[in-house]
Amino acid sequence: MSASTGVVDPTRRGQAVAGWILASPFVVLFLVFTAGPVLASLGMSFTDMRSTDLRSPFAVQFVGLDNYVDLVQDPLFRKVTLNTLLYLVLGVPLTMGVALAVAVGLNGLSRSRGFFRVGFYLPVVTSIVAVSVVWKYILRDEGGLLNAALGWVGINGPAWLDSTSTALPSLVVMAAWRNFGTLMVIFLAGLQTVPREQVEAAEVDGASAWSRFRFITLPALRPVLLFGAVITGIGYLQFFEEAFVMTKGGPLDSTRSVTFFTFDQFGYGNYGYAAAASYLLFLAIVLLTFFQFRLLRTKD
Amino acid sequence: MKRTTATIAGLAVAGLLLTSCGRSDDAGAGGEAQSTAIADGKAKGTIEVWAMGTEGEKLGDFVDAFEDANPDADVKVTAVPWESAHDKISTAIAAGKGPDVSLIGTTWMGEFAEAGGLMPTPEGLVDEADYFPGAWQSTEVGGTSYGVPWYVETRVLFYRKDLAKKAGWAEAPTSWDDLKKFAEDLKSKGGAKYGLNLQPGQTGSWQSYLPFAWSDGATLTNDDGTEYTIDSPEMAEALDYYTSYFDDGLSMTRTLDPGELEGGFADGSIGSFISGPWHTGLVEDAGLDDSQYAVAPLPGKDDGMGTSFVGGGDLAVFKDTDNADGAWKFVQWLSQPDVQQDFYDEVGDLPSVQSAWDTGELSTDPQLKVFGEQLKEAQSPPAVPTWEQVAASIDGLVEQASRGDLSGEDAVKQMQSDAQSIGTGL
Amino acid sequence: MTQTLEKPAGTATPVDTKPPKQRRNADGIRTPGWLYVVMAVGLFVVVVPFLWMIVSSFKPESEVRAIPPTWWPHEVTTENYDQLFTRLDFPTYFLNSAIVALAVTLGNVVFCSMLGYALAKLEFPGKRLLFILVLGTLMVPGVVTFVPLFVLTTNLGLTNTLPGMILPFLAGPFGVFLMRQYILGLPDELIQAARVDGAGELTIFARVIMPLCGPAVATLGVLTFLTSWNNFLWPLVVATSEDKYTLPVALALYAVGQNATQYGLLLAGSVVVVIPVLVVFLLLQRYIMQGVAMTGIK
Repeated sequence: MSASTGVVDPTRRGQAVAGWILASPFVVLFLVFTAGPVLASLGMSFTDMRSTDLRSPFAVQFVGLDNYVDLVQDPLFRKVTLNTLLYLVLGVPLTMGVALAVAVGLNGLSRSRGFFRVGFYLPVVTSIVAVSVVWKYILRDEGGLLNAALGWVGINGPAWLDSTSTALPSLVVMAAWRNFGTLMVIFLAGLQTVPREQVEAAEVDGASAWSRFRFITLPALRPVLLFGAVITGIGYLQFFEEAFVMTKGGPLDSTRSVTFFTFDQFGYGNYGYAAAASYLLFLAIVLLTFFQFRLLRTKD
Repeated sequence: MKRTTATIAGLAVAGLLLTSCGRSDDAGAGGEAQSTAIADGKAKGTIEVWAMGTEGEKLGDFVDAFEDANPDADVKVTAVPWESAHDKISTAIAAGKGPDVSLIGTTWMGEFAEAGGLMPTPEGLVDEADYFPGAWQSTEVGGTSYGVPWYVETRVLFYRKDLAKKAGWAEAPTSWDDLKKFAEDLKSKGGAKYGLNLQPGQTGSWQSYLPFAWSDGATLTNDDGTEYTIDSPEMAEALDYYTSYFDDGLSMTRTLDPGELEGGFADGSIGSFISGPWHTGLVEDAGLDDSQYAVAPLPGKDDGMGTSFVGGGDLAVFKDTDNADGAWKFVQWLSQPDVQQDFYDEVGDLPSVQSAWDTGELSTDPQLKVFGEQLKEAQSPPAVPTWEQVAASIDGLVEQASRGDLSGEDAVKQMQSDAQSIGTGL
Repeated sequence: MTQTLEKPAGTATPVDTKPPKQRRNADGIRTPGWLYVVMAVGLFVVVVPFLWMIVSSFKPESEVRAIPPTWWPHEVTTENYDQLFTRLDFPTYFLNSAIVALAVTLGNVVFCSMLGYALAKLEFPGKRLLFILVLGTLMVPGVVTFVPLFVLTTNLGLTNTLPGMILPFLAGPFGVFLMRQYILGLPDELIQAARVDGAGELTIFARVIMPLCGPAVATLGVLTFLTSWNNFLWPLVVATSEDKYTLPVALALYAVGQNATQYGLLLAGSVVVVIPVLVVFLLLQRYIMQGVAMTGIK
């Protein structure tokens, strides 16, 4: 605090007071409902707390880093970590690619854009439970829509959700379907800030549509893409709902994610262990975000 | 239990600073004495009750009779969704402000009793011998009973009577060898694509595998429930037998979609399956009547009835109740044979009290009689707080074995070592 | 930031923040016919599951479960909707959902704008730390706080109350981030001019800044409303008695039984649940586009 510097600028003081008045409701809510639980969770991760200790939460043992050490050695945790990375590396490019393609398409439309925009946004607003029913029908082996379509071109499709190699990619497709709408809106908004003059000048110069996109649109979109990559990445690292409603984590845990694992552990009552797993996920998110900022920002 | 906002801050601090406070051993269940007997007389005061699913929906009106008999008592029923019931009960126990009575899924008893949330059943409240033994077993944690079975369900064999007849079977099979032959015949002569559909892993497959193991004489724990005894030749043999249905193409190797089982059973592509009483309704909704299908007790390994799984719901009284007398009297009332029968008429839940089966529809309906018979020969899993986790491990290994990735012997070895590292939690 | 914002500095009346109408395709690049075809096909693929949901909600339960699934109902029935409105205390659940979603939305809009403005335009001690905290919170996965939050709510006596469903979500980091980015793009001259006119800091916020935040508020409002309306896990845990259920919770209770799910009811319920969100999105989509465009994620 700089109140001791003697000369107090009245506007500065006014700003400081106003700043804190404006900040205080958020800060209070934040301390009680976010910071508190985050710290409590951190505390729990260093203990052997179980659900059966809830009545006497202070009587648990402090176990140091044991939970973390056990996690790293837990074969299931390793597996779900690998799965989560797969969700990330498959899901982010797919979701962003679809969102960008649709956004570019929408941007090229002169009429009915609003209609298409709402249509493409629909998956975002539908309830996952209802949609899971539909997707199961799409992906099933016998009588499934996808396999029926593949059948027309002579391909005999597998039981998508029952094979350890196709279940996870199938869920990624479903997740991309459900999530691309939000990104599409963001990209579309970004596309409208692309300098029109440049695009037109390039067109006059005879640049192809692809090179216009590649050398003018894409660079202009870089910040929007970065933002999209960060929020999509955070989303895929927390992958859970699709697996929960579609495969329950199977077959053979091939679709179980870290978040899923953590909820399982909570369910089993292993609160300390679950808290530690959730903190490792937190750490992964921080690292990923940092990495993405580094990677995509350099050319700014 | 007076804790406020400080709890969270406290928890965090405790987590960081806690170095010496250990867990006191008397926190939970195990070796606790039964509560003292409740007094005679009518129930008084407010009795708050939580119940899930259909039971929760229907119980509200059903308790009018209890209130008529106990004019000073006021029963308040809250319907709780099954999905959130587990979390709600654990928070209620943690906070010390739950209802007076709650329906508790049989596999949760161990956890909640160990958490110290449930009151041991008072001496002399009910007679253990009145109940199906497997059902009573689910209330006992570490040798102490923490509630009373309310309703039960068990798994039996559902089969297409007409297809079986076509395949030369007038009666249901009564041994493992026969069952196998039965499934093969349903497939080859009865026209079914799958003779006996079994669950190839995934959540809850332990409920379909363990009956085979129990029928073979396997046990999951030693007598006092302190050690797992999963790694046994019987367990392995049962698992090999179970997975042979997948190897031989008698059962689908993937998990079925909702409606697929009933649909397949109705159109004759699935010849038989093993499930609980709710499936009679579903099968009939799918268009079958009892001239086309029938139920039969699970076949034993050698000739005779096998051992099935018993599940259902128990009634427990929370330790923090301020109306223990009224609460237990309400539980006692729900356990009377005639009340149990009325509740069956109302909701369709099978009574846990054996004598409730002696009269009325329960004693005459041929299908229900099968369930009643099977219930006498049925077990529940060990009531240990960690059961859900052990069960998840069993589910995973059943799946691996069903896919042919593991032999029965290796799978049960792994189940044993998983279970040992998970512990009993007692 | 967008150039449009820079011209009419110094006025306290709302600036026209709408970018010039994007007719560039009409006058600049022509829209080829094939693009409409491609987009229409894409749209069809994307909305098929959604259409199936609506159509199937008019099928009887046995047909919903039928294998192979039918596309068009063989038998059209409104039984699922009848059941939805008769068996469920629909007005109560709807009202609860609306109260919770609106309160959460209002809280986020107000509190996040307040802090967003402070972070964007005011100098005060602790500002940097606050901003870092907000950014950090964006990265906290939901599972981290779930159980402690649960214990906390119980101990505050908030289980089975609407505040218990509202308070934990009343002010999120995303809103702060969004509002800060947006307000950052507003010209400083506006504020300076108001100060010169003798307006207090809080007045400037309420009278000068907020009126300019329409698009950002619309964006934040819709996204918050959507999330809150569909929020399922938390209300499921907090609400213990029927009069406190929100729509998704009620659906879960009645449609998803322990052993058998009533899919028809679930589909009908999902259709009904989606409608309010869709209406909100339809009404505000233009503003959202502007809001997102101007949050300065560039």
